[in-house]
Amino acid sequence: MKKRMTKMVSAMLIAAMTATMVVGCGSSDKKEEGGSSSGSTTQAAADTSSVMSHEEIIKKAAADGKVGNWGLGNEYEVLALLAKYGLPTEYLSEDFTMDGFDDDSITLASAMTYNELGLTKNDYEGGYGYGDTVGYIDMNDEGVAMLEDNIFCSKTFAKENPETVKAFLYASLKGWEYAVENPDEAAQICFEAGSSVSQDHQSYMAGEVAKLVSTDMNGNAVTDDIGKINTDAMQQTLDIAKQYVTLDDSAAQEAFSKLTLDDICDSSFYDEAKASDGKFNVEKSEVSIQLKWLPQAQFMGYFVADAKGYYDEVGLKVNIVSGGGDISETTAVNNGTVDFGVTWPTNMAVADAGGMDLVEIAQIYQRSGLTLVYKYDNFKAE
Amino acid sequence: MAQKRKRPKSLYRRMKENKKVQAVATVLLPVLLGIVILSLWQTQVLHHWFKTDTFTLPLLDRIGVIISENTGKIWENVVATMTVAIIGLVAGSLLGYGVAVLAALFPRAGKGGLSVIGAFASIPVVALAPVMNNWTKDVSNDASTRSMVAKILVVMLIAAADMGLNAYRGLTELKPYAKDLMATYAAKKRTTFVKLQLPNSVPYIFVALKVSVPASIMTAIVSEYFAEYITGVGRQIRENIVLSQYSTAWAYIATACLLGIISYVVLMIVQSILLRRYH
Repeated sequence: MKKRMTKMVSAMLIAAMTATMVVGCGSSDKKEEGGSSSGSTTQAAADTSSVMSHEEIIKKAAADGKVGNWGLGNEYEVLALLAKYGLPTEYLSEDFTMDGFDDDSITLASAMTYNELGLTKNDYEGGYGYGDTVGYIDMNDEGVAMLEDNIFCSKTFAKENPETVKAFLYASLKGWEYAVENPDEAAQICFEAGSSVSQDHQSYMAGEVAKLVSTDMNGNAVTDDIGKINTDAMQQTLDIAKQYVTLDDSAAQEAFSKLTLDDICDSSFYDEAKASDGKFNVEKSEVSIQLKWLPQAQFMGYFVADAKGYYDEVGLKVNIVSGGGDISETTAVNNGTVDFGVTWPTNMAVADAGGMDLVEIAQIYQRSGLTLVYKYDNFKAE
Repeated sequence: MAQKRKRPKSLYRRMKENKKVQAVATVLLPVLLGIVILSLWQTQVLHHWFKTDTFTLPLLDRIGVIISENTGKIWENVVATMTVAIIGLVAGSLLGYGVAVLAALFPRAGKGGLSVIGAFASIPVVALAPVMNNWTKDVSNDASTRSMVAKILVVMLIAAADMGLNAYRGLTELKPYAKDLMATYAAKKRTTFVKLQLPNSVPYIFVALKVSVPASIMTAIVSEYFAEYITGVGRQIRENIVLSQYSTAWAYIATACLLGIISYVVLMIVQSILLRRYH
């Protein structure tokens, strides 16, 4: 009897504990709903005239220690921005949700235009529904923009398989061009390819990614030469990187400070792919590309090229490998696990400084997609 | 046969039976193994066996250079990690021991508490750490403080389970008839507890600590991965691996290993001093 009682009590305690755990995990969801309802009510009342200027917002958030970024090589633009206003280059670690922004532990949060910014504003599944009650600071406007998603491979691979590289670029660029023209269809293709996000978010993302691919840092349209490595933008990226990347390994830091564009970029494959007639004598017919993140419209060009048969046309079978979290795309390409990769030029340059042998062959995103998002309510002018 | 019996013991057997040699061997053999592995590493034989390169598995001298160049920064991170590990370990061990005492004195309610702690500790750290981050959002406005509290809570739960389950065994698994003997002395429950059960649990405390000291450091390191405030040895390992800075990452991995080994050695020394009267 006693034993049974003991067992009962412990079973109940465990059940109660599990319940609290579940409630704890779920509390953020509830807040989201709360956020969306309060968002829609104040939406109409959003008055941007009483909000601080961007400079004041950045200074206030930095003084409160509430600027957020994911770190892990994504932080350099934010560091450059803070330094631009003479602020200490410190930030909070943002997780891969916007919960910290939602509960105000981060008031100036990093958000990619095509992903987190959409989740913050929109109220579809997974969104926080802040609508027009939030504003954002664009890195391109602040002059601290760095280039993001590119295509790279190892120098050895490029040297041994030049035709394969050209064929892959030719078909991928065709995929990107089609995706930029038809973002809705591209979103659908990505969704069917095993998307990590909802269909609504996917089409929002496709629209935003199309803007990043077809507009440069100064806001000019890029039409004919999607994927071209823009030397000015790349130089700006490298210059900012050299200022804000700090490596504990002094040899790597030294090598990094000496890197030039020629060390990390090679436009010849792009130029030859563009000039070609689409016929290639590929050395390796089965290749793979490592994405920087989970499958989503951020990488729509590759999914479109695959679905539309562009890769087949040039004689390639392409395996698109999903990334995410702590997947290091540079390591995967360098050790030959995959042939091509998508990363940010800075991360690739840092890896090269550390001893890898990687080269960028095309620059898909022509402007920075990084923004810092804030709630108007948190930055009212006095 | 007769001849064989007369023959003096072989050197090997004599060494095997000599207590002093045994003591030296228990220290010497692991050290020798370590030296062999390290020399295979430095001479790149390991790289050949595991088909890797000096980039992903940097040579020892390179790791050493990075450690010596960054002693200040590494020390900062060590302090951050060890503060979390030690506070979590102490708080968790006290909590665990408290629950074990309750369970020994009031089995009906206390045993349930032990099960709860045990269940908590079986949740993987990777699941517990982000949840704790969310729970401690209101603790402080200072991100470094609340992030530290979250990490300490995770370490605490892991340490509490170890201590609770082991101390409970120490408090209840007494020598046969010991309790009956106390009863014949007409000892009060309190006296039995203080004179018999508490002393009996001391060796079990060290059994628990042997597991929970390295586990606390490990837990502190893993929970740093998810912490809001960027600091600690574990966080540096993650950042450097993602940035493909393997040499630096290895410098922090080596630091983490040293932390674990040093704290284990300290524990062994403390144990040998405190438990001397038990032997």
